[in-house]
Amino acid sequence: MRHIMAKQQQTLLERRYSMLGLFLIAPTVLVFCAVIVYPLISAVYLSLFKIFTPTLEGSWVGLDNYRVLLSKGEFWTSLRANLIWTVGTLSLQIIFGVGMALVLHQNIWFRSLARSLILFPYFISTVVAVLVWKWLFNDLYGILNHLMITAGLIDWPIDYLGSMPNAMISVILVGAWKYFPFVVIAVLARLQSIPDQLYEAAKIDGAGPIARFFDITLPQLREVLVVIIMLRAIWDFKEFDLIFLLTGGGPVTSTQTLPLLVYKEAFALNQMGMASAYAVIMMLIMLGFMLVYIRRTRSEES
Amino acid sequence: MARKILFNIFAWMVVLMVAFPLFWMLVTSVKPQFELFRRPPSMLPETVTFEHYWRLLSDTNFLGYFWNSVILSTATTFVVVTIATIGAYSLVRFRYRGRETLAFLVLFTYLLPSVVLILPLYLMLVELGLSNTITSLVIAYTTFALPYALWLLRSFMAGIPEDLESAALVDGATRLGAFKDVILPQLLPGIISTALFTFILSWNEYLYALVLVNSDESRPLTTGVMNMLISSFNIEWSLLMAASVMMSVPLIIVFAFLQSYLTRGFGAGGVKG
Amino acid sequence: MKHTSMLSQGISRRGALQGLAAATAVAAMPIRASAQETTIRWWSPQAAPAQVAAYKAQIAAFEAANAGVKVVFETTSDEGYAPQLAAAFSSGEVPDIVTHLPSFAIQTYYANGLVEPFNDVIEAIGADDYYEGANEVFKAADGNYVGTGIGNSAANMLWLRKDLMEGAGISDAPKTWDELRAACQAMQKAGIYGAPLPYGRNSMTTLIFIGVIHQAGGQVFDTDLNVALDTQATRDALEFYASMRELCPPGATNYSWGEAITAFVSGATATGIYTGRVLGNVNAQNPPIADSVTCVTYPTKSADIPTWTFNDFPSVFIPKQSKNIAVAKAFAASLYNPEGYIQQLHAAPGHVLPVLKSINENPKYQSNAIIQKYPAEVELMSQAAAGGFNLGYESAKHPSNDKAGKVVGSGAIADMVQRVVLNGENADQVIGETSKAIEDIMKS
Repeated sequence: MRHIMAKQQQTLLERRYSMLGLFLIAPTVLVFCAVIVYPLISAVYLSLFKIFTPTLEGSWVGLDNYRVLLSKGEFWTSLRANLIWTVGTLSLQIIFGVGMALVLHQNIWFRSLARSLILFPYFISTVVAVLVWKWLFNDLYGILNHLMITAGLIDWPIDYLGSMPNAMISVILVGAWKYFPFVVIAVLARLQSIPDQLYEAAKIDGAGPIARFFDITLPQLREVLVVIIMLRAIWDFKEFDLIFLLTGGGPVTSTQTLPLLVYKEAFALNQMGMASAYAVIMMLIMLGFMLVYIRRTRSEES
Repeated sequence: MARKILFNIFAWMVVLMVAFPLFWMLVTSVKPQFELFRRPPSMLPETVTFEHYWRLLSDTNFLGYFWNSVILSTATTFVVVTIATIGAYSLVRFRYRGRETLAFLVLFTYLLPSVVLILPLYLMLVELGLSNTITSLVIAYTTFALPYALWLLRSFMAGIPEDLESAALVDGATRLGAFKDVILPQLLPGIISTALFTFILSWNEYLYALVLVNSDESRPLTTGVMNMLISSFNIEWSLLMAASVMMSVPLIIVFAFLQSYLTRGFGAGGVKG
Repeated sequence: MKHTSMLSQGISRRGALQGLAAATAVAAMPIRASAQETTIRWWSPQAAPAQVAAYKAQIAAFEAANAGVKVVFETTSDEGYAPQLAAAFSSGEVPDIVTHLPSFAIQTYYANGLVEPFNDVIEAIGADDYYEGANEVFKAADGNYVGTGIGNSAANMLWLRKDLMEGAGISDAPKTWDELRAACQAMQKAGIYGAPLPYGRNSMTTLIFIGVIHQAGGQVFDTDLNVALDTQATRDALEFYASMRELCPPGATNYSWGEAITAFVSGATATGIYTGRVLGNVNAQNPPIADSVTCVTYPTKSADIPTWTFNDFPSVFIPKQSKNIAVAKAFAASLYNPEGYIQQLHAAPGHVLPVLKSINENPKYQSNAIIQKYPAEVELMSQAAAGGFNLGYESAKHPSNDKAGKVVGSGAIADMVQRVVLNGENADQVIGETSKAIEDIMKS
């Protein structure tokens, strides 16, 4: 009898706890609904209309926007640019980020100053980053061209942002410079929690530094890398500020990624419906990527 | 020993290359205008001048924008971290239906490009009578800062042993009492690290600020500086670089001190997707 | 008030966003206090410090004459005004007066019912005082005026350095493309480039290239507003523009107004293409060359083709949703009071040129140091700008084109330039595709 009572009490307590849990999550849910779910639904809703942005007056066109955009060359070139940018900048971020984290994990001179300097690109705002790089890239007064001419690498100033493939390479490099510290931060944190015994044991077994990296460090980093790659892939895929401020999508449409195309449709061409359709497609692409990625990494684990 | 020195030199060369834009920004900001347009450019300024900083502080609204950015980022950080902390607590330590789905939905919200959120969000803010205010930007920034903050804090929370809380409960503490006395102190590094990330995000945002706010009273630094110094009639590089320095220096100082929290952020609980 | 009207308009008129707006309107009560004071908001993308100071003086004068009225000036930008105004119009939170936007932008907004007719303000300013035809560009299809000019600007003047010309043995300013090319070639040496023509993906490239098409004797639209790009003139224009590429700095592929003026003012290019703002900037930033700059209208393909000056027609207009239209109109008219207006013009001498004859003749206007230093240049620009055109109004025979803003905004013409000049694509095919793209915009 007492046993049952206790059990009842426990379930009562449990129920009260889950009420409390729901109460605590309520603000989050509320904010999500107001600032994310609502705009999300309206994006899907708007994509079914032909809408003039300044008046937001529109007429129902059903799935026409989608039909038009999928048959338009611009969508596919933008998607291609978007993929090149994402893959390019992401790989550099990961490679350089992991490498730098390994270096900063060592006991180098003035380590904390070095760390601060490395993290600096991530702190500064995109606006500042773009301004500084544009000034470095400047065709007439830029230091990069000057240094390269002095070093005898080039005879004439390079046009970094206005011609292909330079523009795409420059954007990818600036993106990598700006965001690789994020990878450094995450990897460095993980490195600090790898027990030293593992390395010592491997040393005793006669493993060299390279073997130690592949046998111990990399497997230990796997989990954190999986997460970082996903986060950064999503963020890079929808990056707007950096590319918009650096090249505006040019030359022609060579660096015009999907977010820039959405912006152009929404505010330059005033086609809010079409812009929303692009955005919805973009979301579906990312969702697809995410699901495949999660499944892949899960199945590899098991 | 020689290897160690070589390694150090190599490491510092890379570090200096990464930091070169910072150096160039500083150099440009103290060069007088006429030296700026000299070709080829000089590596170090021949005359050092602080006139650009002076002009920025006395002739422009830089300080006003700066102050707006401070209020904006602090408020956003406070709101986001508060909501995310209790939200993460609930997601990790309570059992109720839809919990896993919710956690997945958080990830899903990352996928939305900000360009699309802007107009519906703007209309909503206008209906609330908040257009052209700092509050409107705080609300808007919550959209992109909250998912990440929640996700980060969730992994921290998962790293705190459940036994600690149970022990407190056995000792007669209430659930919320245990949260306050046991969980929060344990979570502090995580909270600081999340706060830093949120602060960076809101200090640096550009697009929302461009569309949602168009009055000098509430414009933050990013759009303020662009609007003020890049126009179709003149690009004042020295002023821009001086502004860039002043926009970045406070962040760099703060993060130099709190840097260890930032790296600890990912460490403690391990990162769980 | 706005909320009730928005709800009561019903489902019929407001299409897509009705449901969404209503849903949020329920939760919303206007928080703004309904104070006694009327505040009107003034937007402009032209906000150099001296200009803002002049605006402040004009505001102070108006506030002093109208108790209880407050005017707030807010800066927008050439690239940013589109999204900002879009957000403002869609929400009803509009500025009460907007100045210095190109005329074609207002035509687009007017065609969508967003702009208050301006006829009475023009009357109040004095219709006879305008240069002849100055308001033609603001005439809408329904015969109303959508706004008026607050200044003229001659956007594509050819700026020259007399010292460099002398050094290269060039005695006369170039009048044809061949002469211009030869002059640029002669002056391009040791770190100095010939010209800073824009090849960027931006509105400057679009606007300047529209001028080049006309300087080849062509046009973008015919007088019935059909796309008329597929002509030999467009091909000539592209060919000329491509041939100038090697005479421009490498970064010209990204040039817009700011880079173009800086290149000439800093002495990095021997010629320039810009408005009269060059005069002020040269004197402030690079005094050593100030005595040797001069300007002429941009050369044409051959001497028998008349010059064609691009004038943005910086404008004033009042959004229809403004809650203080009467005050805004009074303020708009007050902007033309000689004292304030002259100060505003002097803030960028030679850049914004007066639209009123009486102001141009006013000794106070003429007394400015820069205008006195370059009387011939300023007079030439005034003439050229007053006789200038833009895409919304390509010639005196063209009706106003309310889709011109969209065509410029789409970047189709800048894309055409980039594809042919930078990518080396086949001109015929690109012209065909660009025509098609512009036709689509005209239909939408």
